[in-house]
Amino acid sequence: MKKKSMKFAIVLLIFLVSLISLYPFYTMVMMSTYKTEDIFKGVPLLPSDFFMTNLKLVMQSNFIQTYANSLFVSIISTSGCVFVSAMAGYGLTIYKFRFRKVLLKFVMMTMMVPTQIGIIGFMIEMKSFHMTGTIWPLIIGWFASGFGAYWMTQFIQGALPREIVECARIDGCNEFGIFLKISIPCMIPGLTTLALLIFLWSWNSYLVPLVFVNKPQLYTIPIFIKSLGNAYRTDYGAQITGLLLSTIPLVLMFVFGSKSFIKGLTAGAVKG
Amino acid sequence: MTGQRKKTSMGSTRKFTVFWPIIFISPFVICFLLFNIYPILYTFFASFHKWDGISQKVFIGIDNYKTIWIEDKNFRKSVFCTVRIILCAFPIAILLGMVLAAFLSNLKKGRQVAQTINFLPYITTPVAIGLIFSFLFDWSSGIVNKILMALGIIDEGLNWLGDAKLAYLVVAFMIIWKSSGYFMAIYLAGITSISEDIFEAAKVDGANAFVTFWKITVPLLKPITIFVVITSLISGLQLFDEPSLLFTGSGTGSRVVGGPERSCLSIVWNFYDVSFQTTSRLGYGSAIAITLFIIIVIFAMFGMRFMQGASEEDL
Repeated sequence: MKKKSMKFAIVLLIFLVSLISLYPFYTMVMMSTYKTEDIFKGVPLLPSDFFMTNLKLVMQSNFIQTYANSLFVSIISTSGCVFVSAMAGYGLTIYKFRFRKVLLKFVMMTMMVPTQIGIIGFMIEMKSFHMTGTIWPLIIGWFASGFGAYWMTQFIQGALPREIVECARIDGCNEFGIFLKISIPCMIPGLTTLALLIFLWSWNSYLVPLVFVNKPQLYTIPIFIKSLGNAYRTDYGAQITGLLLSTIPLVLMFVFGSKSFIKGLTAGAVKG
Repeated sequence: MTGQRKKTSMGSTRKFTVFWPIIFISPFVICFLLFNIYPILYTFFASFHKWDGISQKVFIGIDNYKTIWIEDKNFRKSVFCTVRIILCAFPIAILLGMVLAAFLSNLKKGRQVAQTINFLPYITTPVAIGLIFSFLFDWSSGIVNKILMALGIIDEGLNWLGDAKLAYLVVAFMIIWKSSGYFMAIYLAGITSISEDIFEAAKVDGANAFVTFWKITVPLLKPITIFVVITSLISGLQLFDEPSLLFTGSGTGSRVVGGPERSCLSIVWNFYDVSFQTTSRLGYGSAIAITLFIIIVIFAMFGMRFMQGASEEDL
């Protein structure tokens, strides 16, 4: 009896917390169906009928290009980061060489280097590469993610037995072939988790685009939404609709990827 | 182990100790030096100059740093505000994440659903979070005031976003709301990997749920806790998105840099404001960035110690 009521209390608590987690999100969905003037009238609990109009407003603006920009940035950043990190993690785990210990420590340290801090230097560097005014500054910074390399190192240590690699080597497979055909499949959960996180972070990234983006053609979603607020003295309905549209792909990715995300997290993060 | 390796790679050892490691690791190292280390070094160099990004740099030695530490009230305030928000937000978020994970791990049904729902805040764009929270905490139409009034806790609406004593709490709440689910996912992953036998043994020994949590789950999760604490400290010191979006993203909050009376001015926000927004004192901004960098490195060093200590204990 006592156990049952305890369990009930736990479920209730989780339910409440989930409710709080969900509520702002729910508000966002509801708000996107309202006219801006009506949003302030009260707490929107039920949907109104203004969604299509808001959607039209958003579509009329620069939104599609912005969306494409964001997708481009996130996809390239993610693929680059995952590939570079996987290679680094693989190299650090599978081979035994002289400075391995030092490099492992270095990678661990890179994870703690705050990337935003060099942004002034990064800006000047990009200028000398003639990359300002293009979308690349928002991307290449992700290629060298200390977190990514550390993550993959941790993950590969647990997931890829060195024996497999050695067997393949005896069978005459070359090193790059081993990496692509044998090791990558073993790393899928770790790679998926990393990819999801990097996609998320680059999609939501704010400070770097804020500094680099100087024309509407380069807008990513966070910057675009901010500019909506400044230009038209805030059409909240449209703004929120835009935000909703920009959150949808992430939600889908995490809902469908959540199993392997958790799996990768379990294998990778657990060792800290 | 070593003997075996020697046999398989006899004659071409160098290939495996020099050539291939370089091939695999160099992309990361090169990218890292190019896009992380070099910018920081350049920033360090710039921090000794008076420089607005357009005209020539003028070398002024450590004047920028002197100004930061001795005169600049905004910098001092920003450090105070950042630390205050970190202390209000992360201990609660981490604890909440851990407790929820422990609860969830006992549930058979609905675990996946609860986990996904609680992860939603983490994936929502910060711009959206700022905007929505400025609605929720709005003085007149926000639901938070309405609920508190309905419960009889307050008599009239609190001006959450306009009052320096309350605004930082809203930012802290945003962080708690956002990151608890993330911590929960990490902890849940950790708990899942603890052997079931240990919990069984505890049950046989007659330990109740609370004792099991306190004596078994918490200690075994120590490495994760260290990881979580360090990473959240480092990201917390770089706090920028949440406060700046809460106060500049909407018409409801005050538009002043730093929120009401600059009570939510984080270090990075101050840095951004000095270097790119209100002024373009890039030299001075660089000095702020380097100061923050040093603070973070100190924390990171301690963190590394702990992390290594923890992983050695495991082995």
